[in-house]
Amino acid sequence: MNKKLHALLLISVFVVATCGLIYELIAGTLASYLLGDSVTQFSTIIGAYLFSMGIGSWISKYFEKNIISWFIQLEILVGLVGGTSSTILFLVFESVASFRIILYSLVGITGVLVGLEIPLLMRILRDRYEFKDLVSKIFTFDYIGALLASIVFPLLLIPYLGLVKTSYMVGILNVGVALIVCISFKKEIKAAVYLQTSAILSMMALLVGFVYAGVITNFSESLTYADTIIYSKSTPYQRIILTKKGKVLRLFLNGNLQFSSDDEYRYHEALVHPGLQALPNAHNVLVMGGGDGLAVREILKYPNIQSVTLVDLDKGMTGLFKSNRMLLNLNKSSLLSPKVKVINADAFSWLRQDKKKFDFMVIDFPDPSNYSVGKLYTNSFYKLAKTALASGGIMVIQATSPYVAPKSFWTVDTTLRSVGFHTIPYHNNVPSFGEWGYIMATESLVYKKPTTFLPGMRFITKESLDLMFYFPKDMAKVKTEVNKLNNQVLVKYFEDEWSSVL
Amino acid sequence: MNGHPFYKGANLLSGSNRRSFLLKAGIITTGIMLNGCLRKLKPNTPYKNITGTIKGPNAKAGHILRDKLSLPVSTGTRQVKTLIIGSGISGLSAARYLKMQGHLDFELLELEDHVGGNAHSGKNNVSAYPLGAHYITIANNEDTLLTDFLQHCGVITGFENNLPVYNEYYLCFDPEERLLINGQWQEGLVPEFGLNSTDKFEVKKFFTLIEQFKMAKGNDGKYAFDIPIDNSSADDSFRALDRISFKTYLNQQKLTSKYLLWYVNYCCKDDYGQKIDKISAWAGLHYFASRRGKAANADANAVLTWPEGNGWLTKKLEADVSGHVLKKIMCYSISYNQQGKVVAGIYNITSGTTSTIVADNVIMATPQFINQRLLKEGVTRIMDYSSFNYSPWFIANITVNHLPQAKGMGLCWDNVAYDTPSVGYVNAGQQTINMVDEKRVLTWYLPLCDHEPRVARLAAYTRTYEQWMDIMIPELEYMHPGITEAIEHVECWIWGHGMIYPAVNYIWGPNRDAAKQPVNNTLFFAHTDLSGISIFEEAFHQGIRAAKQVLAIYGK
Ligand SMILES: Cc1cc2nc3c(=O)[nH]c(=O)nc-3n(C[C@H](O)[C@H](O)[C@H](O)COP(=O)(O)OP(=O)(O)OC[C@H]3O[C@@H](n4cnc5c(N)ncnc54)[C@H](O)[C@@H]3O)c2cc1C
Repeated sequence: MNKKLHALLLISVFVVATCGLIYELIAGTLASYLLGDSVTQFSTIIGAYLFSMGIGSWISKYFEKNIISWFIQLEILVGLVGGTSSTILFLVFESVASFRIILYSLVGITGVLVGLEIPLLMRILRDRYEFKDLVSKIFTFDYIGALLASIVFPLLLIPYLGLVKTSYMVGILNVGVALIVCISFKKEIKAAVYLQTSAILSMMALLVGFVYAGVITNFSESLTYADTIIYSKSTPYQRIILTKKGKVLRLFLNGNLQFSSDDEYRYHEALVHPGLQALPNAHNVLVMGGGDGLAVREILKYPNIQSVTLVDLDKGMTGLFKSNRMLLNLNKSSLLSPKVKVINADAFSWLRQDKKKFDFMVIDFPDPSNYSVGKLYTNSFYKLAKTALASGGIMVIQATSPYVAPKSFWTVDTTLRSVGFHTIPYHNNVPSFGEWGYIMATESLVYKKPTTFLPGMRFITKESLDLMFYFPKDMAKVKTEVNKLNNQVLVKYFEDEWSSVL
Repeated sequence: MNGHPFYKGANLLSGSNRRSFLLKAGIITTGIMLNGCLRKLKPNTPYKNITGTIKGPNAKAGHILRDKLSLPVSTGTRQVKTLIIGSGISGLSAARYLKMQGHLDFELLELEDHVGGNAHSGKNNVSAYPLGAHYITIANNEDTLLTDFLQHCGVITGFENNLPVYNEYYLCFDPEERLLINGQWQEGLVPEFGLNSTDKFEVKKFFTLIEQFKMAKGNDGKYAFDIPIDNSSADDSFRALDRISFKTYLNQQKLTSKYLLWYVNYCCKDDYGQKIDKISAWAGLHYFASRRGKAANADANAVLTWPEGNGWLTKKLEADVSGHVLKKIMCYSISYNQQGKVVAGIYNITSGTTSTIVADNVIMATPQFINQRLLKEGVTRIMDYSSFNYSPWFIANITVNHLPQAKGMGLCWDNVAYDTPSVGYVNAGQQTINMVDEKRVLTWYLPLCDHEPRVARLAAYTRTYEQWMDIMIPELEYMHPGITEAIEHVECWIWGHGMIYPAVNYIWGPNRDAAKQPVNNTLFFAHTDLSGISIFEEAFHQGIRAAKQVLAIYGK
């Protein structure tokens, strides 16, 4: 009996140590996912965690009686706090200011609790081993646990369970220790029934969390994304997912890649500069779609720009790109600029009501993959857009891939022409997307190709622009119908062309 | 109405009342009313999440006319040159035409608190929606009266190569129609998915036939099938088709594919509220062969629709005659005075008082089953009222917070399931340019054609809200498993006499023609039941025809 108990307590040391390290790893990983800059995040988190553990160890001397029952309660608490920590962090991630406070508080609390564990366990075992034996045994198991944690965490837990489920699982292990200790020492502790019940209840709560973790970050979803999902949210309009791998952030809307932070500059430079550089007197710009603020970032590089109006349907999207630090770094806080006015409205209705004129317009909608979005590529929409374009102005439209979906691309061109626009189609290569197409539309044929560009461009030059305007044979213009509200041919072409690729 | 003064003294079991009471009892005991409830999903499960009511045309007015309740004495008399009774499309169109021609001394009386009749619409915080008529097709190009009106209200925005350009916000947005058939939603309503080659051949044969009829002209040089219906050829080789049922005709043509028959049945239910055995072959073919409209910017026969359906057109017509319309005013009798002027007995629904209008002439833009009760002694029409048959309809406007996904084609404007009692639902939000969020209103149409109209009508009046849900929800669940949970609100609407249906030998038989004839050149008639098919275009022309007869009196 006694022997069995000893083994049990030593196993507890092992489990407790493993769990402790995993909490630390979870906090560090979460912080570097969500806040970026992994070296700083990891070292400050580890520092804070170790320091809190120290505080825990120091407090342990104030526990005098009923050490076993204290230990059991402690385990339950560690399980609950640690188990739910990543859920809490994911949920509060959006509001960045409080996020750090909550992150470090959770790290602190977990650290203090974990710091209490080993000293208390040592005191429980104190009378059963000789001191040197005790120290050697405890630290052996402690370090083996740490080793195990550091191996299974990146290799098994994160890839198969994800952060949220891992936390719950580790929490369950902690409470499991509490339960086993509770049962084994039934006779030595007071209020065993109470402790046992609370352990069981906590265990169940954590199990529920484990099962429903999918609501927070979908397990199947995380399988479909190659990189780690660091943010996901369903707004009334779409599902926003942000992933991170190394330094690279990727944004997905309804599963479609919107940008990848390592090559988005190619897309946004191509979208904005061929048009805006040709308009030295442009003052007022309209951006429709593009709630990520990346096109706005490019636009704000021109000192002549006085105002940018951004119309994006989804408050969830613009809100995210106005508040998250990693994303603010990416869009250079463009949406917070005093020149920028963000309007969360449906572009079609907004355009129908708005009477202002714009010198430059960027139409950066998601691809026409369904009938709802398809409306924003119709002759009716372009007719409205035309009324919003100041004379001499330029409108540019992202128009899908002329290589993969030539019919779709040229349908946008045909549709623009059908309402009286002159068009200037062009394309470039964006590695994440492949060969991508844009169309500039003007009311009169006045477009003068820019010969110089602002300093600091990473992609666009006079020479690259010449290449962009040239359409090789495999992307050459094809005859298409006009896309209208009552035929939506574009959606059908788009579906045909992309389904043969995917 | 405080106190219902006119109820006092009324014998509640007067002749007609007793009859309907007995019929009601019979219906309940034979279980017709519960037809459909047998498929109850889970017994005793009320649809907890669903709120709503049953509404319909003003029932009190019906009582007054049908049960001949005694009314208070008239409080006064006034004169008007021309009186129009009923503000459905035909009444509004008559009024508009009079005004256009400068004839301004007229009043238009409507018993409801709104104009539009069967083209009435509703609205909630999700969308406007139709309660009856929900679309028209682009106009036949020769129909200049109609194209002028459509241009006037912005439905036609101009002309290109002599073809009308239709307002692209009113042309039905794509995708237009889908059919749930053999477990999958296919695009379009003509069955395709899962048909074998014989079925496909028959479908093709039918449409080849229709193409011929579309362009066919009679020996008088007129189109065999035209809109308005009275422009059609008098050639008896076509009119003979009115003397057989559509079912018989299809049989004669050896068209027996169950898929084709389903489709043709569906179309007849959709347009006439009855199946192919009840309507004439001429009328059945008219549905397919009378529309030849061409547009510069849309396909032939393209659909025009609005969230509130034809309620939109109603508003346009109403705006043209504002100032002439009196609502909640019901006509309960029409007779002549000694001077040969028409005397209309008027009941004010709000105040409960009656008065008299003496008119030089009156346009009755009301259905004949109403006229039968309004026209009193001295007004002679030689016709058989019993030849006018009306299909009852049940309409449900269903507010859902989402639509469960299904296999195949996604949500369209018109959504139909093969071989179900209803004719499906239309998406009221189809014409929205916004990226719609999940909430929608779906307008579900059920023609009550499984029993004689009289029986079906009475059964409809007797059903409770839950019983309607028991009829509707299993079908919706079949179309969209899991939808019940998503339903928030269902507004039910019953049209007891929804629309005239063109029974065998009705359109070219003697009664329709007789009913169109004016009485004493002072009483004129305009209603879609005088066309025999109930569509906007017919109502529009019925109104103009009667208005022209009135104008002729004044030499205009
Ligand atoms: C369910 C349903 C769906 C339909 N869908 C379509 C469609 O999609 N497209 C289409 O073109 N057509 C459709 N129709 C046909 C529609 O009936 C006609 O298009 C048209 O609206 C009929 O107009 P009306 O003037 O002939 O008759 P009604 O609409 O019947 O007008 C008669 C008017 O007279 C009033 N009235 C009656 N008695 C009195 C009285 N005693 N005193 C004063 N006023 C009185 C009534 O309240 C009513 O307003 C549909 C009909 C129904 C029932």
